[in-house]
Amino acid sequence: MEVIIGVADMKVSNDFEAVLITYSLGSCIGLGIYDSVAKVGGLLHYMLPESSLDSSKAKQNPFMFADTGIPLLFKEAYKLGAKKHSIRTIVVGGSQILDQKGFFNIGERNFTALRKIFWRNNVMISYQHVGGNVNRTIKLEIKSGQTWLKISGSEYQKI
Amino acid sequence: MKSVENIINEIERLKPISYTCNKIIEMTKNPDSSINELVDIITYDQGATANILRACNSTYLGLSRKITSIKHAIAFMGLDRLVNLIVVDSAAANFRGGQTGYDLTEGELWKYSVFSALIAQNLAEKNQQKNISFIFTSALLKDIGKVILHTYVNESFNEIAFMVKEKGLTFIEAEKEVIGIDHAELGARVAAKWNFSPDMVNVIKNHHFPELAPPDDLSIPVVYLADSICMMMGIGVGSDGLAYRYHQDIMDKLHFSNIDVQKTIADSLEKLKDVEKLVNSTGGD
Repeated sequence: MEVIIGVADMKVSNDFEAVLITYSLGSCIGLGIYDSVAKVGGLLHYMLPESSLDSSKAKQNPFMFADTGIPLLFKEAYKLGAKKHSIRTIVVGGSQILDQKGFFNIGERNFTALRKIFWRNNVMISYQHVGGNVNRTIKLEIKSGQTWLKISGSEYQKI
Repeated sequence: MKSVENIINEIERLKPISYTCNKIIEMTKNPDSSINELVDIITYDQGATANILRACNSTYLGLSRKITSIKHAIAFMGLDRLVNLIVVDSAAANFRGGQTGYDLTEGELWKYSVFSALIAQNLAEKNQQKNISFIFTSALLKDIGKVILHTYVNESFNEIAFMVKEKGLTFIEAEKEVIGIDHAELGARVAAKWNFSPDMVNVIKNHHFPELAPPDDLSIPVVYLADSICMMMGIGVGSDGLAYRYHQDIMDKLHFSNIDVQKTIADSLEKLKDVEKLVNSTGGD
């Protein structure tokens, strides 16, 4: 059963039938986490780096931003029995338009925000496919923890 | 490989925007046209009137009262919104099916087009532009060339992808290099064939080349910016990815800061719901 995670959305699951999927990441980031012991996984699709941009929007939808969405993804996975030390993390997305530099490079800023949060919390990135100017889709099978990445114009590949 | 002439001939298989729709778009650009004249033109076209009333009475407006006339519709939604609804309704049929060459599934290009038009409208309003419906329509139809070109992109995809990856070309530059015509130029040919104004033909042709806009014109920059925001959000992005050129000078020209970009992205999420409503309410035959 495919569970679609929309733009600025997040789902965690321990349902063996579930395959979490988020499409078309652009400059957004898709963060997948999986605990192979507890067999719990989650997928977040956030759009922007910092919730200080609009705190009322962040309250309404914390999954819009890295700094509100990422902690919540982990917390929800912990509620289903996941443990921090056995979580594998997969980060994809963060593309940019050609020549998009500096503050305007939302893709890069989205990834930087994630790295800062991970660093502060001692979380490592297990796999990343970030940047460039491609469009990405990611799916995560809860039963096995298998993840697939699709880059625009190509077929799904196992990661 | 087919010649460019053969590709252009495929424009014939599209369903042109109706005469009424075209006339209305032109009238909204003219400050001397009156609402009564516009109402007369729409009412004269029974098909258009029926479609508009059907759309108005669907979930799009979420009204409890039934809309029974074009005048009534204008009073409820305002002229710009009504014109936009007519254009969306008239153009929808062309976007049915997927555009496999761009790796876009059924409905993706159309939803993206409507989304991008709504963002362009919003940006035009913020920039106090008077030609709102013109900008909305240009943004809505700017990628109509993809509807034809996708089969050729499919055939030549590896070559195009190679040009982008290895030679640093944008996707549109690679289309032109490999196929002989790009989707924007082909879209401009469609617009010309459908008797759109030269100004609109120009916006469609140059929507990836805002540096070619006349100095005092903001239509192309606004449509370009709306497209860039969609790309960043991943809306309607297919095999071409984000392989288009970014123009910081256009952001500056529109006095658009990086915070404005982010705020527009955050605010646009709500618009995705409007897109669903608009798409579901229009395009019936």
